[in-house]
Formats: sequence, C-alpha cells, structure tokens
Amino acid sequence: MSARAVILRVAALLLLVVFVTAPQLFAFAFAPLAANNAPAIYNQGSLLALTLSHLRIVFLATCASTALAVALGIFVTRPKGREFLPLSRSLVNIGQTFPPIAVLAIAVPLVGFGEKPTFIALFLYGLLPIFENTLAGLTEVSPQTLEAARGMGMNARQRLWQVELPLALPVILAGIRLSVIISLGTATIGSTVAAKGLGEVIIAGLQSNNIAFILQGGLVVALLAVLIHDGLGLTERMAARKLGRFVDETA
Amino acid sequence: MPTLRPTLHLDRLGSVIAGLIGLALFASPFVTYRANRIVSGEGRLLVDALPPAGALITVVVVLGVAFCAALARKPLARLAAASLGLCVIFPAIGISAGFVTPAGNTFARVSPAIGFWLLALAFALLAADALTRLRLGPWGRLGALSVAAGALALLLVSGAWNDLSLMKEYANRAETFWREARQHLWLALGSMLAACLVGLPLGLASHRVPALRAAILNGLGIVQTIPSIALFGILIAPLGFLAANVPLAAALGIRGIGAAPAFIALFLYSLLPVVANTMAGLSQVPADVIEAARGMGLSRRQRLVQIELPLALPVILAGIRIVLVQNLGLATIAALIGGGGFGTFVFQGIGQTAIDLVLLGAIPTVALSFAAAIILDAIIDLTRRGAHDRD
Amino acid sequence: MIEIENLSKRYGDNIVVDDVSFTVGDGEIVVVVGTSGAGKSTLLRMINRLVAPDAGRVLIDGQDTTTIPEDELRHRIGYVIQGYGLFPHRTVAQNIATVPRLLGWDKARIAARVEELLDLFQLDPGEFAQKFPHQLSGGQQQRVGVARALAAKPALLLMDEPFGALDPVIRGKAQDDLLAIQRRLGTTIVLVTHDMNEAFHLGDRIAVMDGARLLQYATPAQLLTHPAEAFVEQLVGTVERPFRLLSLVTVKDAMEPGSADGEPITVSATLRDALAQLIWRGRPALPVADASGAPIGRISVDGILKHGRPLA
Repeated sequence: MSARAVILRVAALLLLVVFVTAPQLFAFAFAPLAANNAPAIYNQGSLLALTLSHLRIVFLATCASTALAVALGIFVTRPKGREFLPLSRSLVNIGQTFPPIAVLAIAVPLVGFGEKPTFIALFLYGLLPIFENTLAGLTEVSPQTLEAARGMGMNARQRLWQVELPLALPVILAGIRLSVIISLGTATIGSTVAAKGLGEVIIAGLQSNNIAFILQGGLVVALLAVLIHDGLGLTERMAARKLGRFVDETA
Repeated sequence: MPTLRPTLHLDRLGSVIAGLIGLALFASPFVTYRANRIVSGEGRLLVDALPPAGALITVVVVLGVAFCAALARKPLARLAAASLGLCVIFPAIGISAGFVTPAGNTFARVSPAIGFWLLALAFALLAADALTRLRLGPWGRLGALSVAAGALALLLVSGAWNDLSLMKEYANRAETFWREARQHLWLALGSMLAACLVGLPLGLASHRVPALRAAILNGLGIVQTIPSIALFGILIAPLGFLAANVPLAAALGIRGIGAAPAFIALFLYSLLPVVANTMAGLSQVPADVIEAARGMGLSRRQRLVQIELPLALPVILAGIRIVLVQNLGLATIAALIGGGGFGTFVFQGIGQTAIDLVLLGAIPTVALSFAAAIILDAIIDLTRRGAHDRD
Repeated sequence: MIEIENLSKRYGDNIVVDDVSFTVGDGEIVVVVGTSGAGKSTLLRMINRLVAPDAGRVLIDGQDTTTIPEDELRHRIGYVIQGYGLFPHRTVAQNIATVPRLLGWDKARIAARVEELLDLFQLDPGEFAQKFPHQLSGGQQQRVGVARALAAKPALLLMDEPFGALDPVIRGKAQDDLLAIQRRLGTTIVLVTHDMNEAFHLGDRIAVMDGARLLQYATPAQLLTHPAEAFVEQLVGTVERPFRLLSLVTVKDAMEPGSADGEPITVSATLRDALAQLIWRGRPALPVADASGAPIGRISVDGILKHGRPLA
C-alpha cells in the first residue's frame, strides 16, 4: 500500500470520527442547505449513538449469519449432507432475487417494529453471500491437496480444520464482506421500522424536507460503508497473500 | 426373494420435506381470519378452512405428495408430485377464503397463514430440487417458467383468489398498482439501458487503455459500496440545487426528491457490473483468435464487431443479469424518496402494519426478479452454446 | 516385507484390479508400470487403504492392514502423489511436519526432523523452511513432497507418478536423488509410473500391469530376457531392449585385464555408457579406472558384446 493510500484512509477515518462526535463543527457547510431556519445538523439524537447502534446490529447479525452460513456450508459439503448440495445452490440463487427490503417488510407484521425485524432481515439476507462463498471456497480446494491429506492419515475433522477451512478462508471472508455491506444498507432502511440507526437522519430529513439532514446522513453512511469495505478487503488480502493467490492491489 | 429395503430407500431431503408438510398440515393454521383489515387474526387449520369434501381432497393429495417426496427418487416423479401439490393448494387457498368469510361480510379479511406458506415452501423446494437434478436446458427452463407464469395468470384472471385479503388490497388500488408497476419497470429497466449505453463504451475503453482501468473500477467500486438510501440522499442535494436554480432542469421534471435521484443512483450502481464484465469478456477472448483475425486482414472495427464482441457476449450478458436483478430489487427503495414503484406499497404496508399491502409490493418485485434471472440465465446459456458451435 | 495377496477391486461392472499378488522385500524398490487405466494407482491406493479392496489383503511384516485403524496405518506409510498436494497455506517446514504433528511429537523433535530432512534433500533450512509452496520451483516442490512423506520415518513409501510433473532434465536428477536417499535410509518403496525408462532406472523389481491384471513380476533383467507375454515384450521395446539390458550391468562385470589408450571409464559406469563412449571415440577398447582414478583394467567392444544376450 502506497503512502498516499495510507494517508487517504487515515484522513477519511479521522473525518468520520470527528463528524459523528462533534457534528456542530461542520454546521457551516450544511447551513446553506437547510431552508427556513431549519437546523443544519441533526438534532434529534446523538450521531455517535446512532452510528454505534447501527454498527452493533450489523455486527451481531453478521456474526449470527456467519455462524449459521458457514455451518450449513460445511454440512452440505460433507458426505452426510451431499444430498442437499444441489438444492442449496438453487436456493441461494433464488434467495438473492429477494430484495432485502421485502424481507424487512414481511418481518414487521410478524414481530413488530424496532430492532427485531431489522435483525431478522439482516440475519436472513446476510446468510446468502456467506453461504454461497463458503460453498465456493470448500468445493474449490484442490482434490490433490485433499488426497494428500487423506493419504497422510488425517481424519475427516483434521482435514476440515487444518486443510479445507484455512484454504477456503479468503473466499469466506469475501462473502462476509459482501454480507456486511448489504447489511449496512439494510440497517439504514431499518430506520423506517424504527430500528436505531443512521437511517434515522435521512428519514428525518425526508419527512421535514431538510436536505441538510438527508445529505449528512447519506455521507456518514456512505463513508462508513466505504471504510468498512476497504478495511475488510485489507484483511482478506492478508489472508489471501499467505496462500500466494494473485491479489489485485487495486480491487 | 429380493428384500424390500433397496426399493424403500428413504431420501434425506425428501424426508425433511415430508416432515415440513406434516408440520404444515396438522400443526399450523392454513389461513388467518380477521374481522377487519387492522385487527389481529385467528388461525384456522386446513380441516376447518375448507368445505369437508375440499378438505378431504386437499389432505389426501398433500399427504400423497409427502409420501412421494420421501420415497420416490426419480426427479420427474418428484416434479410431478410437487406440481400436483401446488395445483391443489393454490386454488384451495382461494376457495378457503370464500368459505371462511361470512356471507355478505365485506370487512372480513382472510390471508394465507403459516401452514399454507410452509406447504408452498415444501412443494417449491421439492420442485426446485427436481428441476436442479433434471438439468434442464435453456429452452426447458424457459418452458417451465412460462407454464408457471401461465398457471399463475389463470388463477389471477379467473378470480379464484378474489376473496383473499391480498387481492382485496389490489382491488382497492388497481389503478395505482399498474401505475407503480410501470414506474418500477421504468426505473429498473431505464437505468439499466442507460448504464449499458454508457458502460459498454466505457468497458471497451478500459479494455483498450489499461491506464483507465484501475481508476474506473475503483471509482465504480466505491459507488457500489454505498448503501442505496445513502446514495439517494447524497444525490438529492445537488439535484435539489439544480431544480431550484436551473429552470430547464425543473421543466424536465427534475426535483431533489422523486424519481430523478433514484434513477441516477440505479444507473450508477449498474455501471460497475456492465463495465467490469465488458472488460472481463473482452480480455478473455483468446489472443490467437484475434491474431488470426488480424492475419486475415480484418480491420480493427471488423475484429471488434465480428470477433471480440460476439465472443465476449456471454460475460457481458452475465453483467446485465446482475444489474437487472439488482435494479428490480433496489427500485423498491425509490419509494422512500418519492420515486414510486412497488416499494410504495411496501412502505405504506409497513406504516399501516398491513402485511397484505406489503406483500402486494413485495410479491411482484420478487416474481419479476426471479423471472428476469431465469430468462437471462437461459439467454446466457444460449449465447454460450452459439459461441461453442462456431468453434 | 509387504505381501499383497489376491487384491481385487471393481467399480460397478468395471474391474479395475483383478486378483493381483506379489511380495516386496524390505528395502526394495518395486515399480508398478503399465498403460493408463491399467489399475496401477488403484492397486497402490489399496495398500494404504485409500481404496477399500473388494477381495484380498495386504500384510505388512505379517500383519493384516485391516487390523490397523486406517489413519494410523497411513501415518506409518509415506505417500507421494503426482503434483504432490502440498498444503498451499502452510510453509515448507509446516508441510513437512504434518505427520509428526498428527502423531503428537514434541516441538523440538519436529524441528530437528524438519531440518534433517531439508538438509537431506539439499534445501537450505534457512532459506526454504519458511517459504510457501507457491514460492518453490517444480523440482523443489517435488523434494518437499517426498520429504513430507518421509517425515515420520515410515518403513514403506508409496509413490504415484512422483516425477510426472517434472521436465525431463530435472526428472533424471530427481530420480538419482531418490535412489541415493533410498539407499541411505533403506526405505521400502512401491512406485507407480507409466514410464518404462523410469521403471528400469529405479526398480529392483518391476510389476507390469495391463487391463487390471498383473502380467509379470520380475527383475528388470528377467523382464528383458524372458518377457512373459507379448504385451510385456512390446512394452519393454524390442529395439531398446539390448541397450536397456546393458544399462543394468556395470563395467566391473565385463572388465578384462590389460590396458588401453584414451580417457578412462569409471568402473561403476553402466555397460551402456561404456559402449556409447567406445562408439563415440571410435576405439575398440578403453581403460577402466576405479573411483580414485587409478587404472585397473580395460573394457572392449568384444567384451560388451559377450555380455549381450546370454547375460540372463
């Protein structure tokens, strides 16, 4: 990573942190957008608290999705679960045609407003990319490597933990990254069903026709997503570099 | 004498589906009855939700499908069983709605309950598994899709479902429904077309000029990362400014809030898959093929049109498939900023906690994405096959 | 000693290995050779039970292998495959340490063993221990693959086309290295190949397979002079046969007393090399020198010809 890239990342992170902790510092920039003496900076709650609860729900949902999706991915690639492999592939394909908002909206009448429907939507929709990538990662392990592992007397569990999972790790991480990004977006929409999150700022702006709110909400969410995406990408590249895969530094 | 064991082999997946069917049939309500649109409802088991004869037929067929799922191994037999099951429970839910609603009561609402959804899920899983194992070709898949679409259309047109709450929601806003449908398609397909018009040349340029590649892909990658509603928000400010200060923009109907930011956002999201896949498609054309074309005296333009683009077509189409499915889903969010589309019903439904209204928006969206995915996958297969035939 | 007794394997209607029996003595190299699809690999994989035989059994030092738990059996048998199957996420040292770790050796013992093996395979531990497989050349990967198989000091090493992925120049050197290491460690080796030259170069005995059957199991010389079937004769090559035969005998056996002019040939060279030198230099005879370079006799074209057909 070049020095410029490092500086850019640190600056973006710093900007985000300063903005959510002391948004009033930036009031001058948003004031021209707030018509009719409306407040320029979101004043119905702390941006920091919203950011943290936004991140918390994404984190919890991703952990839950990862645990289940990886377990399912392992199950359908074992001899006992092979029968479910073709169907599970089709299900992932079909599942991805469901927009996340549909999952969110259907959950509301079932569990009520608030964090619960958001968590359910995040959890269910987050399963798909992780499951898909776990399958891809586990089925891509070269048969030669597995043959060698078997030939050296590794049992099924040792092969899974010492060979298959470590080799599939970069692909699984890519799935988790995709899942996190989708979840960040879905959690933003979660504010329409009263989950605490940064979407609140945008929704408040839309309701009061305050473009300053809409823009600052949009910018914070966007910056957060880009930084998290980038950070997870770095982790993945570190994992992949260990395996000597070709890694595109620009990707 | 041969033992019965090999013939009575229990299929694992089939057993799970049979279990699901049993659960749906005997332990879950088939429909929910509500005195009016807002109050919470009460569940009715299948045996109480249909006239005795109808209930008997449905239970017998559904159990038959469950046995078939657990014991039959041939994909065709399982597909037939699943189709039969769907052909029975889909009309049954309509009949049930008429049966449960007290005569003359116009406020009462009947919706499919968990039992119905579980049955539909079980049959759909069985059908999906059978179809996966049958490995249908592109025409076969398109055929299966048209049969399913035709059956659905028949149910809708025949009025068999008119007593269902979902269809009552539709009847109350039929005109709005079709207007939002047109808006949804315009947002999703229009932005896709615009992205193709811009993205194909951009992809071609990045393929030819490596210096452009990283910059374009990185820029579009960042756009792709930004959650939809945030991007809508970011676009609203400049568009609002444009509308307020440029009379022409306002005359063209551009406003800060509304369809314009949604359209532009969908367009921006669509660029990455189109550009990246155009590049990937062009770069995987074998170098010796291009060399041979040069050797035979094809001009640069002829090489592009006659060799490179046809060979890259399946990959480019795969990018368009991603865009189409993604846009059909994302267009629902446009309603949040007044952009219209099926999302209008979803968000209204959330506001009123009316699940049937949510479904009125969600089901067409999912159906459209699903159909789009199947159709484009089939087209991609057909172009691939074409490319092989030319070899 | 490895006793293979009446091993058979079928997949559906397809018989892959048909009633194969032979015995491998301690410290021997047995090469199983045949065309592709002859059942060689399946036979090999039945020895470490990666494939379960339908009939027959394998005895190692008199013990039926089915009485040993599969994984334990494989810990005791080294296994090298074409392409080696090195673990791409582990360093060279970690790759070599695989079986010792499975066996629960302590760290110091593993480290010492890894270093010993790297030295044995002429891979500088300082340079190579921490490298990943993708950073190695094909020849280096091959050596790591064999080192990994030998890590837990197995008495038996199974090799399935271990040189198949190497280019011809490196392959010859790798074969010589394997021979040298095998002579030093005394490991029993069963090696599968489709390459006849490799079989003659490495094998103390050769098992020729075709169509799932074992056609002949014999020393290289017997195979050349008394091929059991037309297929074996064709496989060993009628034109090549005399030269192969000569390559099995060293100058020592055909040396005559006396002297001759010219650059001496070493006593350990094969008759094939000696004949080549004689033809190339256009001489009827050349002097023979021992390892230190002192002349000890002469080798002549006539002497070599006498060693032709009646050798066996």
